[in-house]
Amino acid sequence: MATLNLKQVEKTYAHGYKAIHGINLEIADGEFAVLVGPSGCGKSTLLRMIAGLETISTGDISIEDRVVNTIAPADRDIAMVFQNYALYPHMSNYANMAYGLKNRGYSKVEIDRRVREAGTILQLTELLDRKPRQLSGGQRQRVAMGRAIVREPKVFLFDEPLSNLDAKLRVDMRLEIKNLQQRLGTTSVYVTHDQVEAMTLADRLIVMNGGVAEQIGSPIDIYNAPATQFVAGFIGSPSMNFLSGRVSNDRSHVVLTDGTRLALDHNVAENRDVIVGIRPEHLSITTPTSSSIAAKVRITESLGAETLVYLTFGSKNEAITLRMQGTHKYAAGDELTLYSNPAQIHLFDQASGRRI
Amino acid sequence: MKRVQFGHSPVPYLFVAPQIIIIAIFFLWPAAQAVHQSFLLEDAFGMSSQFVWFRNFNDVLSSPSWLKSAGFTVVFSSLVAVLSIAISLFLAVRADEVIRGAKVYKTLLMWGYAVAPPVAGLLGIMLFNPLMGDLYILFNKMGLDFNHIQNGNDATFVVVLIAVWKQVSVNFIFFLSGLQGIPKSVTEAATLDCKSAGRRFWTITFPLLAPTTFFLMVINLTYAFFETFGIIDVSTKGAPGGSTATLVYKVYVDGFLGADMGGSSAQSVLLMIMVSVLTVFQFRFIERKIHY
Repeated sequence: MATLNLKQVEKTYAHGYKAIHGINLEIADGEFAVLVGPSGCGKSTLLRMIAGLETISTGDISIEDRVVNTIAPADRDIAMVFQNYALYPHMSNYANMAYGLKNRGYSKVEIDRRVREAGTILQLTELLDRKPRQLSGGQRQRVAMGRAIVREPKVFLFDEPLSNLDAKLRVDMRLEIKNLQQRLGTTSVYVTHDQVEAMTLADRLIVMNGGVAEQIGSPIDIYNAPATQFVAGFIGSPSMNFLSGRVSNDRSHVVLTDGTRLALDHNVAENRDVIVGIRPEHLSITTPTSSSIAAKVRITESLGAETLVYLTFGSKNEAITLRMQGTHKYAAGDELTLYSNPAQIHLFDQASGRRI
Repeated sequence: MKRVQFGHSPVPYLFVAPQIIIIAIFFLWPAAQAVHQSFLLEDAFGMSSQFVWFRNFNDVLSSPSWLKSAGFTVVFSSLVAVLSIAISLFLAVRADEVIRGAKVYKTLLMWGYAVAPPVAGLLGIMLFNPLMGDLYILFNKMGLDFNHIQNGNDATFVVVLIAVWKQVSVNFIFFLSGLQGIPKSVTEAATLDCKSAGRRFWTITFPLLAPTTFFLMVINLTYAFFETFGIIDVSTKGAPGGSTATLVYKVYVDGFLGADMGGSSAQSVLLMIMVSVLTVFQFRFIERKIHY
């Protein structure tokens, strides 16, 4: 159990590429923090810096008030779960879990107790004597988690642990990880590119883009008030709709490219060029409001519980997605009127992408 | 289990025919000849021969010079295999860790592979030439009283040195690719689990290299048995007094220089049996233990 602090952490590679641009982060004791972002955003690099697998160019990383910048990975009191499991193929699953403890001089009795206990928690008891290659992907990832649990470390690090599993298993394991973390109460940092995983697991979400933490906050806060257009587009599925527009003279409306007017209750300067963001689930065709967009159906995707309708709008054929409960059928070319609610409209600056 | 069989076409046989013909002409036929000859006693000019049953084998096995050569071969092969594997493993591990200029190191360490055994022997004999050999002069300046022309142990040292040097680069290539075949995340997981790099090597890296090591053990023993012929022929020619003659070299000396075709054939048949036994032993007992 420990806090994890990152102070102005940067990473610059030898050939001059700057992967991480000054990240500040405080993760509380027992908190589940999730680093999320597209590939190449630096999230894995940051995690590996915490683990000690990458050097820190400037700044400090401290675990429970101890700066660990120059401390060997094995001495940082962290345990990591890798994407491709990284099990030792020549050892039994039992030996895989025991290895870290053995090297730290724990007694045989203590090692056995911890491994058996982790085996029970993770339902691996029957499989302890087998080798990793005799297990399925999900079982292997459980062994890898067992290897982390038995260490009883201060911090768990997860590097996209579910990416190699199939969709159903991923959902099951996601719940298991959440359960386990709540039960053990260990401070955790979890890296993923999957925003659903990020939303469901995180106590706190760190959305990264291009080596910068674009926004840090609880998943719901980020969903409700994304700080930038990037965050707005990345969090939430399907992605937020973005339409370019201009604030009207009386600041009560935003005027879209084809002249459509949407009511606003934002405090924003008149005649400003903005990006209007509306989530697919915040558009409605059944509850009329004063603001409406006329759009043409392109494709309909029925998922059973909900229906996604892809439409185009205006002379520039801007794309709009609509998410509806239940099953609906539309033919391509059908005209729909979409109503928006001023409280659910997000405005972003057209140049900087920042929230207004 | 019955496999599904389709109608055969003669074409595949056509494709393997060249290889089969080569094996038949250059291996099966001479081997059969050797077995046949090993039962014959021939006069020095090859004009007549006589069937003598196992007399040749009896002579060989009771000859002190053959036993001496067999002893030398065992010592020589073990030294060459163990030393060249150990040295190249060390070099490969270190070269794998290098980040800056890694390619240069690796290329230089692989170069030796391009040197043919007789050339390696020639290089060696020049280094140990009593008149101008740098190592010969160096050793004697250090007061070692080094004389491989007369001292059997010194001569053994020379041939082992050359043979190991020649083989290190081959082993290096295999070990390097073996090391690169170990997933990076596995070694990273190990750095989180174990602080001591030495311990990590012996508990993770080395076991994962075991299949490579076993393969190289077989290759190196075969190399020391047979392919070092060129090195020995160029450097010591088995001197002094047959103390650096491997069994293969002795086959050549007795058969082609001594014109004892029967005895030499018997030796080569014995050699064949020994190598077969060794190989079967290796695959039966060692390989089983190292696969994961």
